[in-house]
Amino acid sequence: MSNDHSVSNPRKDPEKIVSIDSEYLTGKRFAYQEDISEIDGIDLQESTPGGDINWLEDITLLEEEGTPAVFDRYSNSFLKIYYDIPAGREDEVARKVLIKHLQSGNSYGTVLKERYAKFAQPELGPWVKGSRIVGDNYVPPVLEGWEAPEGH
Amino acid sequence: MDAVVGESQITYDARGLVEVDDTVLGVAVVKDGKATIDASELTTRKINLELRSLVYEQGIEDVTILNPGGKHSLGVGILTRCKMTFEGSLGYFACGVIDGPEVTINGRVGWSACENMMSGVVVINGNAGSLTGAAIRGGDLVIKGRVGARTGIDQKGGTIIITGAAGSNTGFMMQRGRQLILGDVGPHLGDSMYDGIIYVGGKVKSLGADCVPGEMTEEDNEFVARKMGLYDLGTPPELQKFVCGKKLYNYDNLEPSERKLVL
Repeated sequence: MSNDHSVSNPRKDPEKIVSIDSEYLTGKRFAYQEDISEIDGIDLQESTPGGDINWLEDITLLEEEGTPAVFDRYSNSFLKIYYDIPAGREDEVARKVLIKHLQSGNSYGTVLKERYAKFAQPELGPWVKGSRIVGDNYVPPVLEGWEAPEGH
Repeated sequence: MDAVVGESQITYDARGLVEVDDTVLGVAVVKDGKATIDASELTTRKINLELRSLVYEQGIEDVTILNPGGKHSLGVGILTRCKMTFEGSLGYFACGVIDGPEVTINGRVGWSACENMMSGVVVINGNAGSLTGAAIRGGDLVIKGRVGARTGIDQKGGTIIITGAAGSNTGFMMQRGRQLILGDVGPHLGDSMYDGIIYVGGKVKSLGADCVPGEMTEEDNEFVARKMGLYDLGTPPELQKFVCGKKLYNYDNLEPSERKLVL
């Protein structure tokens, strides 16, 4: 996405960390984390299968390192939200930020698909209709200098 | 059609896990944007390849599978929004690891239907085996019939609705999500559950470790009424609510990385 911001990681591998957030994984912070108007066009009902908001019922506003955050199960990381969330709209905003994140292809789990998906699948899963197929041409990595044992 | 018929004619890989030939046969009949696959002469892999080709590559959003013949692992790993209808019973692991589809199964299913489902809706118009909805993370799984043991084992989200009775260890190690069981439930309901809610309309044989009665709230009533309306299940009966007593385990004591495993 064009209006993202690179962030410097205060923690470097292989330093042990217990909290992994989206910014640490991608090295970026996205506009919808800083500006609530970025999620204005998100329709939760439209974005999910079935007659209600389906899997988003389990998504609520949480907190990570003292900052409001929504959990992205597709990258096992928190997506922090840096603006004031209007009272009574906490879960709605969390859900819309997450859907925007997934539809934009910015979830780290989506980023990894291009390289690591072993089976053909839509890059943007069920969030964007007609997204391109990835994983249909997977080539296993080869360790330099390694040879398969005889008979394999 | 040159489809392979019979187990003896299929070539599997050295471990016997998968049929080697991954050619899409292209035998589906497509009309008015809807596709129909007659699965009676097809192997499991050919059916699944045909399905993926239709919904991923051809942009078909509505697929009906005729004569599934109780085959195992049908409709697995579909990761897009679409409608799938199975006209007949399915075997083990039906519609596992799906994310987005709306599925109707007009028949029974075997073990582990919809295991690891991420989102979507699955309605089973028949009975289901044990481990139904194992490790489900999201979406609605509706069984219009009875289920076996350990329904929703390791459930991490989503809603499982059962109109009939459920077997033993229902909700075993449940971590999040909801179960709505309109019939009776066997022994050890909610054994070692961490979190989540189980509503039961019938009798409960016994509660498992750390599963305790809870109090129905307005939020619970709204949820139950909405889901029952959504799936034409009539008026909600009087329900008992069960939750985790939090004596065995508490998220506050978990390492952050462990906590994420159940979010």
